Amino acid sequence: MKNTFLAVMMGALLMLGFVPTGHAEVGVTDTEIHIGQWSPQTGPAAPWGAVARGTDAYFKWINANGGIHGRKLIHHYFDDAYNPAKTIAGVKQLQEQTGMFAWVSGVGTACGLAVKDYLMERGIPWVGPSAGSRHWVTPPQKHLFNVYPLYLGDAQLLTEYAVTEMDKKRIAVVYQEDDYGKQGLEGAQHVLEQHSMELAAKVPVSISDTDMRPHTMKLRQAEADAVLVFVTPGHVARLLGTGKAMNFEPQWMSTTTCGDFPLMIAITKGLYEGVITASFGMAQPTGNVGGIEHINNPNHELMAKYKTEVYDAFAADDERWGYTFTTGIGLAEPLVEAIRRAGRDLTREKLVAELEKMENFQGLMGRITYGPYDPDDPLCRIGQQEIFLQQCTADGGSKILTDWQTTEFIPMSQ
Amino acid sequence: MDMKRSYYEDVRLFSSGVTVFWFVALMVFLFFYPFVFTNYYVYMANYIAINIIVVVGLNLLVGYTGQISLGHAGFYAIGAYATITLMTVAHFPFLAALVCAGLIAAVFGFLLGLPALRLEGPYLAIATLGFGLTITTVIGRIEMLGGRQGLHAPDLVIMGHHLTSDRQFYYLAVTITVLLVLLARNITKTKVGRAFIAIRDAHIAAETMGVNLVLYKTMAFALSAFYAGVAGGLYAFVLRFIEPELFNLFLSVFFLTMAVAGGLGSVMGPIAGAIVLSFLDLQLRNILSIPYIGDWLRDLSASYFSLTGVSNIQFVIFGSILIAIMLFEPLGLYGLWIRMKKYWKPWPF
Repeated sequence: MKNTFLAVMMGALLMLGFVPTGHAEVGVTDTEIHIGQWSPQTGPAAPWGAVARGTDAYFKWINANGGIHGRKLIHHYFDDAYNPAKTIAGVKQLQEQTGMFAWVSGVGTACGLAVKDYLMERGIPWVGPSAGSRHWVTPPQKHLFNVYPLYLGDAQLLTEYAVTEMDKKRIAVVYQEDDYGKQGLEGAQHVLEQHSMELAAKVPVSISDTDMRPHTMKLRQAEADAVLVFVTPGHVARLLGTGKAMNFEPQWMSTTTCGDFPLMIAITKGLYEGVITASFGMAQPTGNVGGIEHINNPNHELMAKYKTEVYDAFAADDERWGYTFTTGIGLAEPLVEAIRRAGRDLTREKLVAELEKMENFQGLMGRITYGPYDPDDPLCRIGQQEIFLQQCTADGGSKILTDWQTTEFIPMSQ
Repeated sequence: MDMKRSYYEDVRLFSSGVTVFWFVALMVFLFFYPFVFTNYYVYMANYIAINIIVVVGLNLLVGYTGQISLGHAGFYAIGAYATITLMTVAHFPFLAALVCAGLIAAVFGFLLGLPALRLEGPYLAIATLGFGLTITTVIGRIEMLGGRQGLHAPDLVIMGHHLTSDRQFYYLAVTITVLLVLLARNITKTKVGRAFIAIRDAHIAAETMGVNLVLYKTMAFALSAFYAGVAGGLYAFVLRFIEPELFNLFLSVFFLTMAVAGGLGSVMGPIAGAIVLSFLDLQLRNILSIPYIGDWLRDLSASYFSLTGVSNIQFVIFGSILIAIMLFEPLGLYGLWIRMKKYWKPWPF
């Protein structure tokens, strides 16, 4: 009778979704730590799916090397096709039915914003959203730790370099009409104001634009000698091609999103040579400024290590070793490091405390620093503000132009 | 089809006592649903409820009036943006903003209905497709609407109550869905519904009989857009953040697919289509978690497909299910239901 009663109770509990785990912290068992992630593996943003696959290979490598304090990292990543409705569904299902200890990366501003409140209201740590948006730190959230350097910083550093190092007088910005492009515009204007200069032109690009001639014409009329481009890689390729055809060849500059030189050289059929972009990885600038590095360079010891031990060993046969894949590793490094520092007695509270104590942690990207939670200070959760500049060579190599540089955070105006 | 023997039988909301019983049972089930199922399934119910609203509305246009629309994501976007803007800028309460957003979408529907008077078939499809794409492009260029950076939804407050959880939102979404479905069912049984059907079956004959084509064709568009607008307003609060890219062509196609797979020309069909396809849309990504089948698909993908082949399997399966529905039952899921009823009525004779 008692057994029947117990069985009925257990059945009812299971139906209601309250699965008793017997562990103090959700997503942590004696042998496992469950980490969630979403990324588009299909649909228009499918190329960014490599971010999650990079994280997955990285976790497999950690597990193959004994895991962390005797626990394996169980990576649950799902395809949301870049559709926020699916992101919400996947996050809720994994969180409520399997139980995630924390979330890592997650591609897309809209997808991230759709689940941000859900994760934060429940005190679930989320490290390294894969989009350089100020939304992650405006206002700062106790459990959200940004890793991705903001596009604002790219614009600042590129503009500063164009004005002071290259003596450019007429800077123009071509920008996508979204958060990404607007940050670029704002960052460039901010630096130009400091130099008492004005933008030569600001040319908006719609995602659906295919003909770049009107945009190029505007740039040529403005006599721009340096053009900062905050658009998709596909639009960059069109712009460079149109510029070449119209005999307009300024110093093109772009962001970290267009910093995968082997890829960009391929899609622009060589036109990318000479383009300057910001970067947060793939090369090691310190001690190598002025030198040329290729994707498999021995100077960057950590990158070389990941290439052989993570990519070669755990990536799929047709996976491409490049910027997107390594971003998946770089965004997950602070989370892994904090789990390691938190010790065997792992809780979310401890994880957050360890992340807050993180100072100048350097993995693949620039140095990462967080601070004690302060709702009025975005810098306590911004993590990384370091990038460097590189110039594309004919064979897709990176000529290192600067060492790591710290950029300035500009709060959102609205 | 389900034949009726008299006019009065045809206009009844519930065809029999049995139907009333099942409707009450459904209402009781819907009431207790959040108590029985986990939060994830409550979210799924909200998503399905919103899709039901759009597809039932779309069916009034496509299934009853015979006018195709590939631009419903545009009305959906109008509803979402209008609801948030009316609440944040004009400080409307939520329900008033939602109704107004539906009406604003209806006005756009009426306007789109005017050129539609002279267009049919593929030409109308292209015109509505153009409308859908234009709306999102225009919204992306209006700074007040957040441009391409999108808008955050404000707090959802109804009569002093903050609706923060999926469970609280569930009762709002389901209540509105039930009301709009009953409204649609009533419309189809009125003079308006019969005019729609007459236009669909033979518009020249209908006009000869005195059916005002201009009035009813534009009304069908406006009515359908109203449904999409209300659904869009609810959707904005499910996501809590909207941007123009969300309301793309694929979404319009998905709405139409749900209507067609469910069964055009009925109210129950689109509901079934919305439930089944929304469920598959959210759940098919879990196909690789199924024991044995998941492993087999993973091996198949590794052997014969590309890197993301395994993710694309869900689309292959989704497409196969659609093809199977259309192949074996052209009337969609509703046709399946009719067939079952026909089989059991004279059983065992």
